Amino acid sequence: MKKSWHLTALVLLTLASGLSRAEPALLVIGHPLDQKPLQLNQEQIRNLFMGIPVARGLKPAGLTADNELHFLFNNEVIGLAEARIQSYWAQMKFTGRKSPPAEFSSEQQLLDYIRQTPGAIGYVSADIPLPQPVQILLKID
Amino acid sequence: MRIYSGMALTSAAMLTGLNMIAADVCANTSDRFELSGFARLVGGYLDSHQQTVEGYENSFALDQQSLLALQPTWHLSDQLALTAQLLAHSSDSRRSGVEWLYLSWQPEPAWQFRAGKLRTPFFSFSDSLDVGYSYPWITPPVQLYNSLLFPTFKGANASYTWSGPDLAVQLEGLYGYYKGDVVMAGSRIDAQTEVSNMTGFNLNLSRNNLRLRLSWNSGDNHTEIARLQPLQDALQQTGMDDSYNSLQADGKIQVYGAGLSYEDVSSFYRAEWVKIDTEMDLAPQLTSWYASAGQLFGRWSGHLTFARSSYSSATPADELAAFRDDPASPLYPLAAGYYQAYANIPRGGLDSYTLGLRWDFRLNMALKAELTELREHNPHSGFFSPAVAMDDSSSNVKQRATLYQIGWEWVF
Repeated sequence: MKKSWHLTALVLLTLASGLSRAEPALLVIGHPLDQKPLQLNQEQIRNLFMGIPVARGLKPAGLTADNELHFLFNNEVIGLAEARIQSYWAQMKFTGRKSPPAEFSSEQQLLDYIRQTPGAIGYVSADIPLPQPVQILLKID
Repeated sequence: MRIYSGMALTSAAMLTGLNMIAADVCANTSDRFELSGFARLVGGYLDSHQQTVEGYENSFALDQQSLLALQPTWHLSDQLALTAQLLAHSSDSRRSGVEWLYLSWQPEPAWQFRAGKLRTPFFSFSDSLDVGYSYPWITPPVQLYNSLLFPTFKGANASYTWSGPDLAVQLEGLYGYYKGDVVMAGSRIDAQTEVSNMTGFNLNLSRNNLRLRLSWNSGDNHTEIARLQPLQDALQQTGMDDSYNSLQADGKIQVYGAGLSYEDVSSFYRAEWVKIDTEMDLAPQLTSWYASAGQLFGRWSGHLTFARSSYSSATPADELAAFRDDPASPLYPLAAGYYQAYANIPRGGLDSYTLGLRWDFRLNMALKAELTELREHNPHSGFFSPAVAMDDSSSNVKQRATLYQIGWEWVF
């Protein structure tokens, strides 16, 4: 009896650990440039979305601020709060230094843009099917 | 308490109207033309009956730092754009008009060239000083940001950015000239200045959310101070050459700066240091710095900032020393005038402790509240101005006051 209780607990724990292993919530994706796969680490993706050029031909694009993924991306990839990012872009814009990434109002619009634009980089939720030739650059849990 | 209710109402009506216009304009902005802008409404009160700071006195005022700006940009091609920034300040002592007008050319993402009338990027926020939304304070530390000698220049700058897997480097260089008013210790003095050969370099290194900024700016200064002209003429006519030369405001100015900042999703830390060196006897060396730490709580953030400035002493010539205590001498009035001119030059230092709150209550808008305790650690820091007639001994007293401010920031 005691043995079967241990077995049940073990099965439940295994199931629970499987359930708690969260699927990625967000994927950073890109369209290969010159038909070569893109290779960017998180720091480079962050730089790109902060207006720092990383490589020729890369085009960052995001979602508008009313989208939950926008905040998740800012928190997890950029590593800054929304208000600080808005302040940063106000400074860049009114000193003529940099322009913010293009913005789309829905994931589908953003995905369509990335699918059609070589060098485009953006982010979508993990459960959205990715068309060819879009590739995954980074997974955020 | 004096409340500029008329101005507040006018501003509110104006801003409401502008909000509608901006929404309409933005909706109709074409790919080639873009109109954006920013506004701030700032109110302040200084709890001192005897002194003013930054134009604030012991009555609530909305007209010292409130402003409205429009920025039209014409994209002439994918690489070439013409940008203007038209600014309307509520305060007469601040400059209104065309603050920026430049042509920018970006042949590739790493390179940017701009030419025209530009802001001088002495410190991290000097070129966005009017855009209150871009920084945590209502008034950035006056010890640095209100000691800007020449806030704009006409010329060109070039910047190059390189980024690798772990590090990004940006190098910016500028060359140009400045002609206009001069600011010393936050006050626009009655002087016309020309700075030629303005040269500057800024280096920015960033890794993750850590950023280091090093800067050096220099220029050959020629300033004419109208108030000193009669004294200078008299010194020249009496052959007091050393004294005359010591009042000449000609020479090289060099500004050295360093800044370090770190920020993440929940906190931010920033420190900046500057040293301003001149070849002019009557313009003492200024060293200023600040350190700031802040915490974010959702849409709210709070910060504590300490700032300090210290002037070196300006040393007058000693030709007239023998006559300053001899009222019977015919040279006594000249000596008195000369030493009085030197006595008016700031030689002290100012400490400030600021507690600030910011609420980003909606996208592109923020409300702020700020309390700043200003204390001179050495008398005559230059940041306090007498609100009432005072005797000369007041310049030997350490001044202190508290500045209360509230602000509304908007970018569109």
